[in-house]
Amino acid sequence: MSEPRSVYPFTALVGQDRMRLALELNAVNPSVGGVLIRGQKGTAKSTAVRALARLLPEIQVIRGCRYGCDPLSEPLCLECQQRRAGGEELVAEPRRMRVVELPINASEDRVVGSIDLEAAIHAGQRRFQPGVLAEANRQILYVDEVNLLDDHIVDVLLDAAAMGVNVVEREGISVWHPARFILVGTMNPEEGDLRPQLLDRFGLCVDVEGISDLSERVEIVLRREAFEEDPEAFQASWAEAEDRLRVQIAEAMALLPQVEVGRPVLEAIARLSIALDVDGHRADLVGRKAAQALAALRGGRSAGIAEVAEVAPMVLSHRVRSHPGQRPPDVAEVASRVLGEA
Amino acid sequence: MSLPTVELAPHRGPGFLQVVGQDRMKLALLLAAVDPLIGGVLIRGERGTAKSTLARALAAVLPPREVVVGCRFHCQPSAGDLCEQCQRRSQGGRTLPLEIAPTGLVELPLGATEDRVVGSLDLEFALNSGEVRFQPGVLAEANGQVLYVDEVNLLDHHLVDVLLDAAASGRNVVEREGVSASHPSHFILIGTMNPEEGELRPQLLDRFGLCVDVVGLRDPEQRVRVMESELGPTGSASGDESLRLQLTEARRRLPEVELPRNLVRAAARMAVDQQVVGHRADLVMVRAARALAALRPGPSGAARPAGLQDLMEVAELALVHRRTVAGSWVPTMAEGAGDQQASAPGPGGDPEPVQGGEGEQEGGGEVGEGSQSSSPGQAAEATSGRAGPMPAPPAASVELEERFEAGPLQLPHERRRRRGSGRRSRTSSQDRRGRYVSSRWQEKTTDLALDATLRAAAPHQHQRRSAAPAGDGRAIQLERQDLRQKVRQRRIGNLIVFLVDASASMDAEQRMDATRSAILALLREAYVRRDRVAMISFAGRSARVVLRPTSSVDLAERQLSRLAVGGTTPLTHGLVAALDLILAERRRDQDVLPLLVLISDGRGNISLRGDEPLREAQAAAAEIQRARIHTVVIDTSRDHLPVTQTPGGPQMAGYHFNACADLSRRLGGEYFALFDVTEQGILRPVAEALRRGA
Repeated sequence: MSEPRSVYPFTALVGQDRMRLALELNAVNPSVGGVLIRGQKGTAKSTAVRALARLLPEIQVIRGCRYGCDPLSEPLCLECQQRRAGGEELVAEPRRMRVVELPINASEDRVVGSIDLEAAIHAGQRRFQPGVLAEANRQILYVDEVNLLDDHIVDVLLDAAAMGVNVVEREGISVWHPARFILVGTMNPEEGDLRPQLLDRFGLCVDVEGISDLSERVEIVLRREAFEEDPEAFQASWAEAEDRLRVQIAEAMALLPQVEVGRPVLEAIARLSIALDVDGHRADLVGRKAAQALAALRGGRSAGIAEVAEVAPMVLSHRVRSHPGQRPPDVAEVASRVLGEA
Repeated sequence: MSLPTVELAPHRGPGFLQVVGQDRMKLALLLAAVDPLIGGVLIRGERGTAKSTLARALAAVLPPREVVVGCRFHCQPSAGDLCEQCQRRSQGGRTLPLEIAPTGLVELPLGATEDRVVGSLDLEFALNSGEVRFQPGVLAEANGQVLYVDEVNLLDHHLVDVLLDAAASGRNVVEREGVSASHPSHFILIGTMNPEEGELRPQLLDRFGLCVDVVGLRDPEQRVRVMESELGPTGSASGDESLRLQLTEARRRLPEVELPRNLVRAAARMAVDQQVVGHRADLVMVRAARALAALRPGPSGAARPAGLQDLMEVAELALVHRRTVAGSWVPTMAEGAGDQQASAPGPGGDPEPVQGGEGEQEGGGEVGEGSQSSSPGQAAEATSGRAGPMPAPPAASVELEERFEAGPLQLPHERRRRRGSGRRSRTSSQDRRGRYVSSRWQEKTTDLALDATLRAAAPHQHQRRSAAPAGDGRAIQLERQDLRQKVRQRRIGNLIVFLVDASASMDAEQRMDATRSAILALLREAYVRRDRVAMISFAGRSARVVLRPTSSVDLAERQLSRLAVGGTTPLTHGLVAALDLILAERRRDQDVLPLLVLISDGRGNISLRGDEPLREAQAAAAEIQRARIHTVVIDTSRDHLPVTQTPGGPQMAGYHFNACADLSRRLGGEYFALFDVTEQGILRPVAEALRRGA
């Protein structure tokens, strides 16, 4: 699937700092687990996600693998295992990470994959034709209007996300392949809500709003106009900023393994989750990773309370239990109180 | 470079300029034609106002376009977006062969199936060659042209989703039915709708760059001219040629039109003042102003900068469907030049209607005395005369403080489909609606899942070919057992319409509070099943849709935060508004399962049609029953009689007569009497009704 030639530069977005930060954190550390961007129409949600594609780092994949297997991580897909068993030496090659789009009207056969029609007819072979989940392995899987996705496709996504594997049993085909993807979704809450299981799959969540500052609005219009007029020239004029951010992300990735999170900080994260009464432990794990990624992005070697406080709303706002008839607690406020004590 | 040309298709019907009046609509269409980035036009209005005539006439005057020869998606290299095949063909700096093609109008019919819209597996090609090829659909055909959707508000939800996606991204991405494809899809979206037949989802509304509300001509002189033009020669389209030239010139000029910074600032200020959502309004206003400047060049025909005057002229077209503040508003030069002004007048600062009163149609009709209720959709929307979603400050407003803790509520997960309720038998085309989600084998295939059929047949091809008689040239041998039936999924959901008496009485506020809590509790429970909830309140002399059918908790919380109570009891107005709302929803989706919940003491005292109020309410109830809408009546009169003692006949009207029980019988619904109206008190009968599958 080719992407449109002209993509609006990420760095040319005006405002919406939290949304940008959430996306950048995912680029630095994909195991943060994706982001859900909620907001009303016309707030540059999709533009930002599509723009992120240009800033994504390179990853190592096994050459010739249809699923983009990671040479350093087991298990490999069946095909790679067979190649290895056949005595072939598997070679790694770098590949840029991509944003793979899942259209909301996708049908199940194309999402999970199905029998390769042409191979079956011409060669009489039962071959598997990979679907979107295969393409999205180790990539960003982007679903625009994710709240409108059909329930059965959501089920398939949840299954794959939970196991990191896509298991296909259909049309006489029986295969599995790795399907670890970073789920990025955008939605307008006015169009309906998201199922809680799916909501929980998103590592981070940000709510975006329109900007009411006049000069920022003017800037938005002027940049958009300049972009539409001559996309290539516009991209060229932002190339330097894009490069800078790309380098910053790459450096942060390199730095990430060395960023320390001290025990008192972990305790603060745990206390915060308890204070907000969130379900399960995913929030804690995501919180630690996000704080770490943030510290790395800023060039720091340790993540502290300040980083935890900054990412807390993104990590927790969609995990706070809402009791009917009660206003949900303000995460930022609780965070500053709880973390202030720490 | 001279290009081969194609004859322009002859246009039947009146020319663009021959259509009498409707200047705003013409302006909007021309602007969208000058700059397709404006994002199309939505035309709202009653029937017979030349909406579709003008849209077709516009297509006839659009300048032709340069497309790649042989491209199935009509790629235009000038648009800077090519399909995969054209990208390959143009690699290495090779120039693509171009030809001139007319720009036409592609219609998206309401009954279109999704595979026709987005494209699908090419059946013939697959059968003959055994290969998978993408068969382009309407979105491919519309690339570079006008995509016209008549009655866009009645379009199936899943088609709307697809349309939105393509309109927003300029690309059609297909991952369905065995094919994976992606191609450019840039089109000028023109939609028409009659608001009486239901609203458009806000998300889709925002996608239309401009919007005009049209009304029939009020000037007798012009109406005469309409009749005369009807008799005159059609298709002559005398002004078309010069108009096409004008458009071509305007497009050429467009990039040269300067955009002063203060103009952009003025647009941003207006958008902020009008509390529009998002940033699209600013962009659209600026682009439209610029298109207008291009359309009306300076004295020597040279491009002139876009000015505040241009912005003022187009602003309303971009704001009318996006503003969230009530009231009509006139852009003034002073406000537009807000840069220099210390204080710009706020919204509603000037009560004069803009452009001869166009724009604020929604608030026009009111189900009040004397109104003939001929305009149900408008009536339902009516407030106390002011337009817009926000009610005027209510006489007595209810700020919810005490809330009810919703206990565990067991709602049914699937509602049984209604059977034998006398609904029209379903035609096969109705059966084929909905999104194709999977396939299965069945005895008699009526809705063939081609991709699944081919996949089922594929493994046996080698064997069957060797068994086939020589000379059989088919690439694929299909047998009966290969055939697969499409399994389609529709979002069949309940539509629960609360009709609440907001008239002054001792427990009015409690009634509103309890209803509000019940609605929010239902929505929180309901999201998986795609149920939707609406609320209509009636008080004073009108009924008002407080909450349009929605499944959004967010939206419901916002819209129900302040509910007005007080005044008399226009029960009939409420019943009529509820009926209209449900019928409008049904028009869009025949499978919707409506449940009407009336919460009232049943004692209407305001006449709608000049008849006795009680009699009118009974007639309205009978109408609702005829429409086969399931109802639950929750009687809140504390002095009601037991149902068994109810005497019959309207002549018994009075306080000794159980009005609610009588009403519920006429509605064919279920009756509950509640001494204390609480959230649970409302929820229990509603849940019960839903469980029974109405």
